Amino acid sequence: MENLVIPATERSPRVDFDFAAGRLSLRGESYPEDASKVFGPIFSGLDGFLSEAAGRDICFDIELVYFNSSSAKALMNMFLRLDEAAANGVRITVNWCFSPDDETMKEFGEDFAEDLEHVAFNLVAAQPAE
Amino acid sequence: MTSGDETAERAATDFNLFDAEDKALAEAEALAARLVDAPSATRKGVATLTQAYRRAVREQRRLVKVSDRQQAQLATLNQELARRTSEAEEALARLKEAQETLVQAEKLASLGALVGGVAHEINTPVGIALSCASHLADSTARLKALFAADDIGIDDFERYLATATDTAGLIQANCERAANLIRSFKQVAVDRTSAERRRFNLAATIDETLVSLGPRLRQAGHRLVVVCPPELEADGYPGALSQVLTNFVMNSVIHGYDEGVAGTLSITVDQPAPDQIRLVYQDDGKGIAEEHKARVFDPFFTTRRGSGGSGLGLHIVYNLVTGPLQGTLTVASDLGYGTSFTMVIAADVGNS
Repeated sequence: MENLVIPATERSPRVDFDFAAGRLSLRGESYPEDASKVFGPIFSGLDGFLSEAAGRDICFDIELVYFNSSSAKALMNMFLRLDEAAANGVRITVNWCFSPDDETMKEFGEDFAEDLEHVAFNLVAAQPAE
Repeated sequence: MTSGDETAERAATDFNLFDAEDKALAEAEALAARLVDAPSATRKGVATLTQAYRRAVREQRRLVKVSDRQQAQLATLNQELARRTSEAEEALARLKEAQETLVQAEKLASLGALVGGVAHEINTPVGIALSCASHLADSTARLKALFAADDIGIDDFERYLATATDTAGLIQANCERAANLIRSFKQVAVDRTSAERRRFNLAATIDETLVSLGPRLRQAGHRLVVVCPPELEADGYPGALSQVLTNFVMNSVIHGYDEGVAGTLSITVDQPAPDQIRLVYQDDGKGIAEEHKARVFDPFFTTRRGSGGSGLGLHIVYNLVTGPLQGTLTVASDLGYGTSFTMVIAADVGNS
């Protein structure tokens, strides 16, 4: 299926879903005025991909420096889908990247990880790539 | 609209942040429908739980909305703050640049005044030399005519010799005076513009500077007294010192005295320690009001904005004394009795 690339805006992250290679990433900030505009395309792309991904290896890098409440809710929904897919045989690794001095982002990652049973969830402290 | 946009549009419409919760609620409704035959306590319990969950989801929606809005406001405020900060920084940089330009312009303007003063000073000896030369030429022509007519007497010749001796003496003296003025002006101009460090005699630098100020002082009738040990030398920036003295004197002339009031200005130099030179500049003018005293060295502070004061004269003085001259500067003033500036500068700027 076609890759999904959406450039970052001031209030939304860069989306880079390379479905062919099994590498997905979200980078930047997320506090859109309308969460559905940003996450609608992400979810429809992700749903279509996960439904055909059984048996594959998928790596998902998430490197957000800031997100608002609806984005947090959307992320939680996304992790639930990923965990469901992982339970059904997709091998999924999530790298939750945060700046070493950003304690809050680290805690968010730990919080999300608690609900995940089948996804391999890594906390990665790293300086954001420019 | 392209098909890509349509897809995104549809995806956005289909997207529901509370998808999972809505599904759970629908399942709860379905469960309730299947429980028609269950005991009434069970039915009631399920209904209560469903209702509580519905409320909780509604509350969650509201919280997400409120919190999103606050976060958006915060982001907007942060952007506004960043914008204003960068605007303020930019304005400050522009202001500093403008100030720098004005200080340079002010220095050039005072150099211009110096040129004007020197031109005025040179005008007198050159004028005298010129009229002497023309007088000598006339006398020579007369003598030549008498000689040609073979009508020359001993008296004529003696008178001509006397005239020639007098005028030649005057021409020589005035040309020397003009040459001296030009030399001192050249030194001051070079020092002012080159900002070059050299060893210099203080009395000579003060005198050379005052030459250019002579016309302004005489015009107002002011007297200037200089007390300076003739051998005193310093290693530093004579141009800066010259600029400082010019600004002091111009400041007194412009601000210190009412029209028609003549005063006495003085420059007193001594050496309180081997590595220090103290210069006290004093006038007996109107003095500085107490509330202005603390601000006289501030850039753009002037009591004469309307009449052409830039407010930079003493600011430049302060910068030159504390900068290149490596000294300190204080002001003292008694309203109605005059003002004095005391500066203590390094005798050798490379050695402090």
